[in-house]
Amino acid sequence: MALLEVEGLRTYFKTQEGTLKAVDGVDFILEKGHAMGLAGESGCGKTTAALSIMKLLPANGYIAGGKINFMGQDMARVTGEKLRAIRWRDISIVFQGAMNALNPVKRVGEQIAEPILLHEDVDKEVANKRVKELFELVGLNPTRVREYPHEFSGGMRQRVMIAMALACKPRLVIADEPTTALDVMIQAQILDLMKTLQRELELAMIIISHDLSVLAETCDTLCIMYAGKIVERADSVEVFRNPQHPYTQGLIAAFPNVKGERVMPGAIAGNPPNLIEPQPGCRFAKRCSFTKDICLNQEPPLVEVLPNHYAACHLVEPR
Amino acid sequence: MAKDIISVKDLRVWFQVRRGFIESILSEEQKYVKAVDGVTFTIKEREIFCLVGESGCGKTTTGKAILRLVEPTGGEVAYFGPGKEDMMKEMVEVALAKDEIDEDKAERIMERGGINIRALSKKRMKSMRQKLQIIFQDPYESLNPKQSIYDIVAEPLVVNSIGANEAEREERVTKALDDAGLRPPKNFMWRYPHEVSGGQRQRVGVAGALVLDPDFLVADEPVSMLDVSIRSEILKLMLDLRESKGLSFLFITHDLGVAYVFSDRVAVMYLGKIVEMGPTEKVIKNPQHPYTKALISVIPTPDPKDREEKIILVGERPDPSDVPPGCRFHPRCPSVMDICRSEEPKSVFVSPGHSVSCHLLIMQGAGKS
Ligand SMILES: Nc1ncnc2c1ncn2[C@@H]1O[C@H](COP(=O)(O)OP(=O)(O)OP(=O)(O)O)[C@@H](O)[C@H]1O
Ligand SMILES: Nc1ncnc2c1ncn2[C@@H]1O[C@H](COP(=O)(O)OP(=O)(O)OP(=O)(O)O)[C@@H](O)[C@H]1O
Ligand code: SF4
Ligand SMILES: [Mg+2]
Ligand SMILES: [Mg+2]
Repeated sequence: MALLEVEGLRTYFKTQEGTLKAVDGVDFILEKGHAMGLAGESGCGKTTAALSIMKLLPANGYIAGGKINFMGQDMARVTGEKLRAIRWRDISIVFQGAMNALNPVKRVGEQIAEPILLHEDVDKEVANKRVKELFELVGLNPTRVREYPHEFSGGMRQRVMIAMALACKPRLVIADEPTTALDVMIQAQILDLMKTLQRELELAMIIISHDLSVLAETCDTLCIMYAGKIVERADSVEVFRNPQHPYTQGLIAAFPNVKGERVMPGAIAGNPPNLIEPQPGCRFAKRCSFTKDICLNQEPPLVEVLPNHYAACHLVEPR
Repeated sequence: MAKDIISVKDLRVWFQVRRGFIESILSEEQKYVKAVDGVTFTIKEREIFCLVGESGCGKTTTGKAILRLVEPTGGEVAYFGPGKEDMMKEMVEVALAKDEIDEDKAERIMERGGINIRALSKKRMKSMRQKLQIIFQDPYESLNPKQSIYDIVAEPLVVNSIGANEAEREERVTKALDDAGLRPPKNFMWRYPHEVSGGQRQRVGVAGALVLDPDFLVADEPVSMLDVSIRSEILKLMLDLRESKGLSFLFITHDLGVAYVFSDRVAVMYLGKIVEMGPTEKVIKNPQHPYTKALISVIPTPDPKDREEKIILVGERPDPSDVPPGCRFHPRCPSVMDICRSEEPKSVFVSPGHSVSCHLLIMQGAGKS
C-alpha cells in the first residue's frame, strides 16, 4: 500500500465574491520514502493542497470532495484525537515563509522541543536531548540551542524549521517553498540536507516550489499544477525530457538554462483564470497556443499517455 | 567601439557601525560595514552590464552609489553619456568666469573628462539624475498603494518641476506607460497598484523610471519577485528599450540564469568587491574564480545529463563589518593557499576583457603578457 493516495481532492474557499475553487481535482500517489514535487505558478493551489492534507486550512476553507488516504486512514474525514495523533507525528510540514515566523522571544531549542513534549510522553530532559540530536542532524551546532531566532541567519532558520518538522520522526514531510527566499548557495546547502535526510531516514517528502529545476533535482516524481488541477504527472526526468502538456512545455521553456544555449526564455502570455467562475473546458485554453474548439467546451481528463506519464490535454491520446 | 557611459573607479561605500555609549568610550576605533569596498568597472552605451552575487554582497549599494542615492565614501563615478558636452561646457564657463581654471585646463577637461558625479552640486545632481534612473528591487514595496498609477508615474515630473502644465505631464506619463508596455495607457492610468497583475506592477516601476527619459537605468532585481512565466516579458521589454531608446543598463540580480541569457557582460561580487568580470558567455561557461565556479556549479539543473559535481561552500553570507585579510574569500575557498591569507590578489586578465582576482590564476601566469 502506498503511503499517501490523494484522489479527486477539491478544496474551496468561501469568499465575498463567491466560492473560490483553489484545488479542484488533484490526484496522486506517494510511495514510502519517495519524494514528489508540486510545481506551478503563484496562486495555482499548491499551498492549499498541502494544507488540505494536513487538515490545517484557514477558517473559510473546506474540503469539498475527494479522498486523502494516508496509511489507511482518510484524512479528509478524520477529526479530533485521531487527527491530532497523525498530524505532526506522522505528517509534518515546513510552512511557506515559516523561517520568518519563528517566535522572536523564545529560544530556538525550546521551540523545537514544543511538538515533542506535546505529542510524546517524554520529559523535558529527553526532549532537550532530542533537540540537540536534531540540531546535529540538520547541520546546526548543538551548543546554539539556547539562542534566539534573530541570532540565526535565514539559512540557519530554515534548518531550524526542518528540525522542527522532523521532531516527532514523521513518515511524511511537506516542505512548502523551502528555499525560495534563500541565496543559491544556501539553497544548495538546504537541498543537499533534505536529500540526505530523505535517504537516511527513509522519509517521504512533498516539496512545493515554483522552481522546476529545484524539484527536478530533489524529487522522484513531479506534478505540474495549473489553476487548481494537476495537468501533468510523471517521473521528474521524463517531465523535462518529454513534456506533454502545453503548459508544462511553456513552463520549462520559461526557465533560462545555464547549461544550454544562450537564448531568451519564452513567456506564457496572459493571466491565470478566475477561480471563482472558472471557464468551461480546459482552464489553460485562453493562454494555450494550440486551442481547438473542444478545449473551450470540454474539460480534458488526466489520462495516462505514456507508461506512468499522465497529462490532461485534448491534444494527447490515452495510451 | 562603443563609447563609455558610466565609469566607476575604486568605489567605496562604508557605513558606520552604530555603537553603544560604553562601546564608543572604550574603543577608539570606529568600525565600518564595508558594503562596497573598491569596485571598478565601466558600462558602455547600449550595454547591459550585470552585477551578480549573494545577498548582502553590495549590489544594491553599488547601484545606489552611482546615482548618489547613498553617498560614496571614496572612489570616482564619471558620466560620459548624452548631454555631457553641454553640461561640462556650462560648468567650465562658470569656472573660467570665476578664474578657478585657465583656458588650457578648461580645454583639457573638455577633451578628456567625464562628468564627475560625486562633485556635482545639489542643483546639478538634480538635472543629472534625470539621465540616471533606478527601478527598485521590490514592486510590492516600492509602489505606494494609495497612489493611482498616474500619480506614481508623474511623481518624478512633479519632484523635478518638469512639464509646463498638467496636459504636458499627462502626455509624458501616457508615453512612459506606453513605452513600458501598459497599453492602452488610459486603461491603466487611473487604477491602483493592487488592481493590476504582478507583471503589470513591475511595468509601472519601469514607466516611473522612463518618464524622465533617462539614458542609463539601474534595474535592481526587476524580475526576481515575478512568476517565471512573466519574467521574460519584462526582460524583453528592457531589450526593446535599449533598441528604441539607446538605453544602457546596470542590471542587478542574484539569478545567474537571468544574467546568462540577458546581459552582455557580467561582474561577480563577493563581500563588496568584484572577483570576476567579463563577457557573459565567458564568465558563465568558463568561470575562473573559485567563487564563481562554486556559484555556477550549484545552479539547479533539470536534466541529470547536465549535472556536474556541486561545489557546496560551507558557511553563510560573510560579514562586511569584519572583512577577512588577504583574499576576502579565503575562509570559504576550496583552493585556499598560504598567500591567500595575507595578501590581497590583484585583478588580472585571463583572456581579453575577462578579469579575475585570485592568487591561483596569478600563479598560473595570468596577466603576464
Ligand atoms: N484564505 C483564503 N481565502 C480565500 N482565498 C484564498 C485563501 N487562501 C488562498 N486563497 C486563494 O486560493 C488560490 C490558491 O492559493 P495557494 O496559496 O494555494 O496558492 P500557491 O500555489 O501556494 O501560490 P504561491 O506560489 O503564491 O504560494 C489563490 O487564488 C489564492 O488567492
Ligand atoms: N544604510 C545602511 N547602513 C548600514 N549597513 C547597510 C546599509 N545599507 C546596506 N547595508 C549593508 O551593506 C551590505 C550590502 O547591502 P546591499 O543591499 O548592497 O546588498 P545586496 O547585494 O543588494 O543584497 P540583496 O541581494 O540581499 O539585495 C549588507 O551587509 C547590508 O546589511
Ligand atoms: S486541452 Fe487544449 S487548450 Fe488545454 S492545454 Fe490542451 S490543447 Fe491547450
Ligand atoms: Mg504557496
Ligand atoms: Mg539588493
